[in-house]
Amino acid sequence: MTAALLETRRLCKSFGALEVARDVDFRLERGARHALIGPNGAGKTTLVNLLTGLLAPSGGAVLLEGEDLTELAQAKRVKRGIARTFQINQLFRGLTVLDNVYIAVAERLGAGGSMIRPAGRRADVIAEAAGLLETLKLEDDAGRRIHELPYGRQRLVEIAIALGLRPRVLLLDEPAAGIPSAESHIILDAIAGLPKEIAVLIIEHDMDLVFRFAERITVMVSGAIFAEGSPAEIAANREVRAVYLGSAVDV
Amino acid sequence: MDLISIALGGLAAGMVLFIVSVGLSVTMGLMGFVNLAHGGFAMLGGYVIVLAMSRWGVPFLPALAIGFAAIAASSVVFERLLYAPLYRASELDQVLFTIGLVFVMIAAVTLGVGPETQTVVLPEWLRGQTDLGFIRYRTYSLALIVTGTALVIGLWLGFERTRIGARIRAAVDNRRMAESLGVDVGRLFTITFAFGSGLAAVGGGLGAEILGLDPQYPLRYLVYFLIVVAVGGMGRVTGVFFAALLIGVLDFLLKIQFPKGGTMFIYALTLVLLLWRPQGLFGRRSG
Amino acid sequence: MSRPELAAARALAGRHRVKWWEVLPWVAGIAVFFLLPGYLAFGTQLLIVILFALSLDLVMGYAGIVTLGHAAFFGAGAYTVGMLAQHAGWNEPLSGLVAAALVAGAIGLASGYVLLRTQGLTLLMLTLCTMALLEESANMGHAYTGGFDGMPGLQFLPILGLFPFDLLYYRSQYLYVLVVLFVCFVLVRVLVYSPFGQSLTGIRENVLRMHAVGAPVRARLVIVYTISAAIAGVAGALFTHANAYVNLATFGLDRAAGVLIIVILGGYGRLYGAFVGAIAYMVLEHALAKAYPTAWQLGVGLMLIAVALYARNGLIGLGDALRRRVQAWSGR
Repeated sequence: MTAALLETRRLCKSFGALEVARDVDFRLERGARHALIGPNGAGKTTLVNLLTGLLAPSGGAVLLEGEDLTELAQAKRVKRGIARTFQINQLFRGLTVLDNVYIAVAERLGAGGSMIRPAGRRADVIAEAAGLLETLKLEDDAGRRIHELPYGRQRLVEIAIALGLRPRVLLLDEPAAGIPSAESHIILDAIAGLPKEIAVLIIEHDMDLVFRFAERITVMVSGAIFAEGSPAEIAANREVRAVYLGSAVDV
Repeated sequence: MDLISIALGGLAAGMVLFIVSVGLSVTMGLMGFVNLAHGGFAMLGGYVIVLAMSRWGVPFLPALAIGFAAIAASSVVFERLLYAPLYRASELDQVLFTIGLVFVMIAAVTLGVGPETQTVVLPEWLRGQTDLGFIRYRTYSLALIVTGTALVIGLWLGFERTRIGARIRAAVDNRRMAESLGVDVGRLFTITFAFGSGLAAVGGGLGAEILGLDPQYPLRYLVYFLIVVAVGGMGRVTGVFFAALLIGVLDFLLKIQFPKGGTMFIYALTLVLLLWRPQGLFGRRSG
Repeated sequence: MSRPELAAARALAGRHRVKWWEVLPWVAGIAVFFLLPGYLAFGTQLLIVILFALSLDLVMGYAGIVTLGHAAFFGAGAYTVGMLAQHAGWNEPLSGLVAAALVAGAIGLASGYVLLRTQGLTLLMLTLCTMALLEESANMGHAYTGGFDGMPGLQFLPILGLFPFDLLYYRSQYLYVLVVLFVCFVLVRVLVYSPFGQSLTGIRENVLRMHAVGAPVRARLVIVYTISAAIAGVAGALFTHANAYVNLATFGLDRAAGVLIIVILGGYGRLYGAFVGAIAYMVLEHALAKAYPTAWQLGVGLMLIAVALYARNGLIGLGDALRRRVQAWSGR
């Protein structure tokens, strides 16, 4: 079995008595189109936080191509090729859309720490950032500040930033949340346009999007992996259906 | 001065620090709001209490009650009108606002009452010395120690045993989760803020004997209140209690033994403590 | 690229270009030298405060590090120059500036490395404690520092051997400080418009996001803190040079709070905020504070409250809002 691109081994996390991740053995393969679903509070975002280093685990390990990342801080994992979007937009609200993406691209190119040459002189960074805006149909808003944009457009900027990091692993936390369904195809198109080697993991509740996008689906419940398989297998899985119906009834 | 006298004197000063600072600690832990004007409420309360006694002949304990009520009530007005719009603001804006507020308070008192230090005339039953058997010590200081201890026990019980205490603790630990569980954090904060400011007012009045009371009080003691809260851990009543006692005793001791470099030691100690445990001695690390 | 994008890209590319009105402050500075010779002493103090405020804006306005202890570096620079002159006979001014920058910068690096692990109230307290410790050390080490009285009556060699310090009219001091301010300003301007400067704004706006794009946040903060400390040290050194004395007030909370007020008043995170704020504050203070100290304090307090509630971006922010309204009104 080839080494997964990103995997966890017996990953655990608890806050006091509350266990939010229990012995999670998760694999994300190269070029994956993987969806992570489950009822609210299942621990999906927590898993992404553990994968990216925002949270430190209580036990277990996170590995990228076999390299143990568990002790590494967020920023270092980004340099290794893991990028994510947040469930709630984490943008630079006072800056323009172009600035937001510029910062991400500049960091990737190692230009973020350059102190002498003006930011405006790096035409390569500006061009790449502008190109990303085009990909996500954000050109018209390039010069506007984030707080002036409707929430849905801000969400697209969130994705543009992640793409600007040219990651090997892209973790998208509810990317379509807040985007009117008429525009959600923009995201799918952008993801479809990604190089095949990038592994993409999506957390989503919109089942249409999940089944259109995913080649593999993992279902999490109460901090543990409940089921895993191809979309057809998951759709046919009675227990998965029960868990979703059941969770609608439970408090 | 022998060790016990020093200990008692320091404890008394520490109790005053505690009574003033506990409100600051809880409101900071609850709302994350950097309220540098907290000492101003203590000063205003002190003035209300002292003036009630000296100008209107109100007896000691009722004066304390009036001070508590007056400052608690006016702090509600401040909180709703001025503080509330800044809850989502940056820390810088909060620091700015509260510095401005304390300037206004100091100027108002200077213009209204005058820049002199206020003298407190203690009631008969608190004057003089009390014989504890192993030592004779100032009655007032002993009363302060008793009051402070009673307060921390009362507060601790209040936090641990009442429902509102549980809600406050929950909101301090994790505001978003508390809100999603149905806790009205905004109203909780107003109540806590009023109570904390009222306590500060009482602390200002009680401490007038020991810490003095003049318009410069808030700025002079600001660093002490902040140190006590930072070292004790935000939102930790028992933490603030022990931190206040620690700082009170240390400061008292140092002023006697090393009048020249005493304060330096407190700053150095705070530095070391906060670097070792940024969340305070008793605070809980977030995340 | 379609048009809005092109416009935005061009705007970004040209952001660092010098605008015509940026020459005005310096022209005004030189004009004051010729037109208001009686005010050069005040002018010198004002320019020193502008430099100090500039250093604080770098760290607070751009990087978002809220510190009440920045006077630690001002005092460090001031005392370095004073002690070198008094005890080592080293009273050449320009090399003194370099020494002050190095000492203050070193303290900034050491304290920044240790303190910037923390944030919020803890960081605020730690900056206060660091400054208080330095102040107390200066107070206690009176053999070296003159203790409570400081070191009066210092003497310095003429600048570049040609321009002696003139304590009566402050003529050479004024131009000296103006030139140093200009040099430091250019440095700060370059820094602010660089990608590094932009990443500082990112850190201030959303530190979580900066971590999530792979930026070495803490390293950047320590670097800017060190640079800012060095500049503050230069401002302190200029103080000692210009006034021929140094005392504990260079370390005090008064000075630290005052410069914080100035940065906010002018507009934080804006290059010229330090200029606007310092001029507004110091002119008003000069006119009012001695005559009506309590009313001054009341006024400053009310102004701070108003700024925090309604004009968070200071005077420059108000100016921007006004300009936008005028533009909208004239239909441009």
